[in-house]
Amino acid sequence: MKKNIFYLLVGCIAFALLLIFWYSVELHVSLFIELAFIVGVVLIILARNKVTDKVDDERDIKITEQATIRTMQIFWIIFCLFSIGAVMELLHIPEFPRLSPSIHTPVILPPRLMGYIQLGLLCLMIFLHVGFRIYYAKKYGEFDTDEE
Amino acid sequence: MKNKIKIFRAMHNLTQEHLADAIGVNRQTILAIEKEKYVPSLDLAFKISRYFGVNVEEVFIFNEKTPTIMET
Repeated sequence: MKKNIFYLLVGCIAFALLLIFWYSVELHVSLFIELAFIVGVVLIILARNKVTDKVDDERDIKITEQATIRTMQIFWIIFCLFSIGAVMELLHIPEFPRLSPSIHTPVILPPRLMGYIQLGLLCLMIFLHVGFRIYYAKKYGEFDTDEE
Repeated sequence: MKNKIKIFRAMHNLTQEHLADAIGVNRQTILAIEKEKYVPSLDLAFKISRYFGVNVEEVFIFNEKTPTIMET
């Protein structure tokens, strides 16, 4: 398979996923898009292995590796910030006994807000990865030109 | 790490594209190595030097001062 056909296929899969996402939202059934997402990713991986004219050399792998490591390093800290707060609420740390006994009602975030937080984290991860990829690509001479 | 890839290419009248194809990497990788933006792996360094038919130390120059076994 040629590289351009692969990119075309990725575009088609992305468009199909968008349609399935819209359909899932309309029906309010998340299972459709979740299954479709897994199938889409598997299809892309399988198609990528069939590409014949793409050379992924050690520099490309290093750029991807470095960008992924840095993304994960920052992402897990931010993810932990949200998670620690949620776990603290879950564990319900009791107030100091000498204080007036009050019934602690756990704060439950509305599903819509949880959705926004998840969306924010997802966007953050994508932006971080793209940013680091550009940074490391530049560092390892991706955009350099010479006389040839 | 300094290298003499450009000199060897000129000696053999090779383009970056030709060298890259011969050793199975992208042209941009050859350019990055020549401009000392990227240090190749030992494997790639050997491939490049073998392609030119010389020892790896004739193409790549390691400048860093490191203690030898005699000094330690």
